[in-house]
Amino acid sequence: MAKEKDAKPMANTVIGSSIVIDGEITGEESLTILGTVKGKISVGQNLVVESGATVEADVEAQTVTVSGRLTGNVVARERIELKPDSKMVGDAKSPRIVIADGAGFKGNVDMDV
Amino acid sequence: MADKETIIGPDTRISGEVRGDEDLVVRGRIDGRVQLTQNLTVEKGATVQADVDVRQLVVSGTVVGAIVASESVKLMSTARVVGDLASPRVMMEAGAAYRGRVDMGDIAAARAAVSARAVQRPAASEKAAIRPAPPRMAMPGKAVVAAKPAAAPVTPAAVARPTTPAVAGAAVPALAPAFPRVAGAMNAMAPAWAKKKIRRR
Repeated sequence: MAKEKDAKPMANTVIGSSIVIDGEITGEESLTILGTVKGKISVGQNLVVESGATVEADVEAQTVTVSGRLTGNVVARERIELKPDSKMVGDAKSPRIVIADGAGFKGNVDMDV
Repeated sequence: MADKETIIGPDTRISGEVRGDEDLVVRGRIDGRVQLTQNLTVEKGATVQADVDVRQLVVSGTVVGAIVASESVKLMSTARVVGDLASPRVMMEAGAAYRGRVDMGDIAAARAAVSARAVQRPAASEKAAIRPAPPRMAMPGKAVVAAKPAAAPVTPAAVARPTTPAVAGAAVPALAPAFPRVAGAMNAMAPAWAKKKIRRR
């Protein structure tokens, strides 16, 4: 178990690629998703949806970085970033929103202006 | 992509179902159900309040729920576990707290029982969701029953009699603005079923 302790300090919670979660995730730390999450996500820090991951959930976080596929409304207190080859469907609300070349997005953007 | 194992951090809580084919380490909390083809580790300080179906289970924290492990279960000295446990190999360290039934034999039967429970659960919640409805459905009938004897002794209520008794419950609010005096009588008797309505809900 000792070797697990010094694993990746960057993200406190990691949902692996073969994991499917159906329900609600709440937390005060960062969350990295490589698998599938359906339901609702609320994290105090950063949410990373890695490429290959599928998220069908309403999301609330400090920053949201999407490289995979995200369906749902996203509220980020700081920043939303859609990486190349990411796909997002839903409303995005955040003071800063970055959409990279190649990202797919469908939904409303609200930057509170 | 099995290089990254799944970790539920200490300040993270999942309520719902977790399924997968890789190792899962819980440092936070899971409520609901965990089904893995690999191993589950519940670390010290972590809580899993769920039916668990995994290959190997190692508990240093708290687990409440039915446990099925196809290979082994290990309760470390800091473990606190409540729930029936089915696995061919069960190890308990000194200091581990456990309450429940241990079955080292028929894992398949235990697994079937656990999955049956999982099927029942949503059904039970559905029932709970439907449950408020029958009282509501019963309300008009009750209201009529309550209104009939109450209406008889009050003289102004005679005006209300022409209305079909069957619709009396529905007619009460409709009548109120049209006949102020009757409305007064209605108000006087209103608390009887109004209270009932509140109690029922």
